[in-house]
Amino acid sequence: MRKGGKSQSEIPIISKQLCLRLLNDLEKAKRPVLYATKTALDNAVYNHKVGYLTPGGKKVATELNVSSVKKMSRAVFMLEILLRNIDTGAVNTKRELYYISKGEIKGTPMLKPLDFGDQPESDDTIDFICELLECYREEMNCYANDRGGQTYSQQLVVTETMPDGTTATIDLSRLGTSPFQPKNRPQNLTLKASKKIDFCLIVESEGTANTLVANGFTKRHNCILMGAQGVPSNAVRGWAKLIQDQLRVPMYFFGDLDAYTLQNIYRTLKAGSAASLIRNQDYSAPEVRFLGVLPGDIKKYDLFDYPVRENDAQEVRALKKADDALKNDPFFQDKKNKGLSDILHWLLKNKRRCEQQAFFSVDPKDPTMPEKIIVDKIKRGDFV
Amino acid sequence: MAEKKISSSSTAEYFAKNLQQVGFSSPTKAVLTTLKEAVDNSLDACEEHGILPELNVEIEKMGPGSIKNSERIKVIVEDNGPGIDADDLPKVYGEYLASSKFGRGRCTRGQQGIGISAATTWAQLTCAHGAKVISKTKAQRKAVSALIEVDIKNNKGAVKKRETIDWDRPHGTRVEFVFDGRIQINGDAGLLSYLLGTSLVNPHVTLNYKLPDQEWVKIERVSTTVPKIPDAIEPHPHTMKLGEFIAHSHLFGRTKVSAWLKRGFSRITDSVIEEMSKRSEYKVPKSLFEKNADQLTNAEFDQIFTALQHIDLKAPSTSSVLSIGEEAMSKSIQRLGKVDFFSVVTRKPTICDFKPVQVEVAIARLEERSGEGDSLAQVLRFANRVPLQFDKSACAIVHAITSVNWRSYGLGQAKESIPQGPYIFAVSVVSPFIKFKNASKETIDASDELVEEIRRALMQAGQKLSRYIKAEHKANELEEKIRYIEQFGPILVEGLARITNAKEDQKKRAQDGLMKILGRDANATEKELTEANKKLEKHIANESAGEANA
Repeated sequence: MRKGGKSQSEIPIISKQLCLRLLNDLEKAKRPVLYATKTALDNAVYNHKVGYLTPGGKKVATELNVSSVKKMSRAVFMLEILLRNIDTGAVNTKRELYYISKGEIKGTPMLKPLDFGDQPESDDTIDFICELLECYREEMNCYANDRGGQTYSQQLVVTETMPDGTTATIDLSRLGTSPFQPKNRPQNLTLKASKKIDFCLIVESEGTANTLVANGFTKRHNCILMGAQGVPSNAVRGWAKLIQDQLRVPMYFFGDLDAYTLQNIYRTLKAGSAASLIRNQDYSAPEVRFLGVLPGDIKKYDLFDYPVRENDAQEVRALKKADDALKNDPFFQDKKNKGLSDILHWLLKNKRRCEQQAFFSVDPKDPTMPEKIIVDKIKRGDFV
Repeated sequence: MAEKKISSSSTAEYFAKNLQQVGFSSPTKAVLTTLKEAVDNSLDACEEHGILPELNVEIEKMGPGSIKNSERIKVIVEDNGPGIDADDLPKVYGEYLASSKFGRGRCTRGQQGIGISAATTWAQLTCAHGAKVISKTKAQRKAVSALIEVDIKNNKGAVKKRETIDWDRPHGTRVEFVFDGRIQINGDAGLLSYLLGTSLVNPHVTLNYKLPDQEWVKIERVSTTVPKIPDAIEPHPHTMKLGEFIAHSHLFGRTKVSAWLKRGFSRITDSVIEEMSKRSEYKVPKSLFEKNADQLTNAEFDQIFTALQHIDLKAPSTSSVLSIGEEAMSKSIQRLGKVDFFSVVTRKPTICDFKPVQVEVAIARLEERSGEGDSLAQVLRFANRVPLQFDKSACAIVHAITSVNWRSYGLGQAKESIPQGPYIFAVSVVSPFIKFKNASKETIDASDELVEEIRRALMQAGQKLSRYIKAEHKANELEEKIRYIEQFGPILVEGLARITNAKEDQKKRAQDGLMKILGRDANATEKELTEANKKLEKHIANESAGEANA
């Protein structure tokens, strides 16, 4: 049984209850109404004691009428496929489910009106089901590609329980230069430290994480080093949460100093996102601290920074969003996160950015200089 | 250095060198302009004499032309008009500015007497052969046939091969031009667009036409009323420039200034003259009004003209404009093809830029073009009932069309562009003083006041049209709802029953319940449709009553 969401065994029961309610309403010629949790920032609640964004009380109601009958019919049709997967233990990606639905419709002419024109239509149906049942799609055996999260350590040992009940043990120190790739199903993993682990470092750039390892970071320090590969996938988020809960080691995030990294990458890793309000509980690691790049690092290490370019659409959009976040995002509004909102204020005021790789400019002849600075910052408590 | 001799050239010489200014800028335009000038002349002549026009138009290809990429084209236009006196033939077809209509301030198609002589010149320049004319008046027993050419040096018409022939018509004129050109049948600038447009705004015309390699087509008249062209009005002083003002005085010879002003202009009365002589600013001494106009110095003309520009004058009368009328337009628009529905609006005559103007709009959806959902609607523009086919984007009519939000009337439209769909937008602007952007009369100048007046007419037509679209939309909505109920109802219940392992009777009850719920939605839409239809019927009844009263 998991802490968050629903256990997978509950899902068929809840689904049947929901369908039965719909059927009973129809028998009485009463218009059924479906309520789904609203997954948007205006329904996000943040409490620093909880540590992640949780859903508020707002629900989106879908009443059965001529306009919604197609949406509801599609949802029931897809739910049947997902329940069958849970029953047989089969797993699929969203794209595969799109094709499975195409195959079902092809074989049954009566279902033709349900046909999905494109994958976004079937994706929306899957998301709608998850919002109705308040569960994660992973609990419906629908998994995304395991992107990012390549992990290196000389001390970490992972035990994976396979679907057939057998276990596999992976000692990361024996993988040579290969990283461990975390899975979308962290609940099947158990972590153990062969020796005391001092900290876990999550690096935004997968490339920089690889460089640090190649230059001996994990040999010289008892640590776990992970590459986030941009906006963290569910696999990365679940994996970070697992490390936090099972190993209880200090965790640090090292990435660019810009509005996009702070809001879209670091905030998602630490407290989840508004779109995933239902699953933030299991997909966020509130203990992760922001190691840098901090605005103070620029002066301290004489780092190369530069103004935000007007044609950098992503960053210009992020700056606009930052302004909005300071006014509306409960995470950045919380007093406990003042250090982080101060960084957003700094970014908005100065409109400059500094990349994580700028640490390589401090002493170009010493390839381990970034490592030295990172470790020094951890030792000195120079993080937010 | 040898002294250069300064010589003057005739009007004909000027136009012969600048035919592009009057619509002969390309071989394609040459065909259309020749046709247009001949048809305009025929229609104006018929209307002047109260004759219901019947026109035969024939266009033939005769082989390659002498100009590169051109063909030798023959254009024949024959009418049942009053005919032209034999002595007037060279003036009409071979002399520039020899018009009976020049500057008269009437809503005739032709205004200056340039067009048809330019067509003769073009034929002469490209084929060394002028206009072949046959004409017969009611008084003549036999018709006159002649070849007319322009004596370019002297701006005179020259008659060649004049003979008397038998012609089985009571009266009428037949003109034939052979020249180099290129034929474009379809598209905005095509011959078909011209012919259909001409028939649309001339409901009283019967038009027979034959295009190359096609059969004769007959478009019957839908009105038996010959439009009465209102009497001319005198120009309004606020629409003139000083030079025009002075030139205008020359038409009056030895006349007292006060008499010239009162007779020669709209809205100048004794009280206006009185006020001009009493004002503290821009005062005109009384003695000046007593002088003869031909004795005024330029400084005195300037003094009077400036004073007139600074005095409030009533807007000119609108009695000089001519409308087609909503009833005639409604009948005429159905000649364009099978029409699903249409709306027509005739605005009351009004004043724009101190000139009387009347705007009429017809919008129709054509059944045969129903496949053209995404393409832009066809725009037919008319100035004094003559189709305008070039330089669309600069035209006041197009400015007005694109300024309206057609989406609110149920039409598809990209922002600030011409709406989409199988529609025809016909906009007619009638005025004795239309301001064109160029001498070839292809585009109406887009002044703010005129654009706003056209825009109002379009919006009224849009509102009428939206009643049809709304009723149709509701009917489609109802059809779609019924289809949805039939398609998704059983699927939803079957799916729910499978997941819950429901029994047959439970499934049946749910099925019935669902049909009741969705049926309620369909009933609501059906009610809305009935309402929309009622409104539409009422609108149609009102329109018919309005026409009957008119």
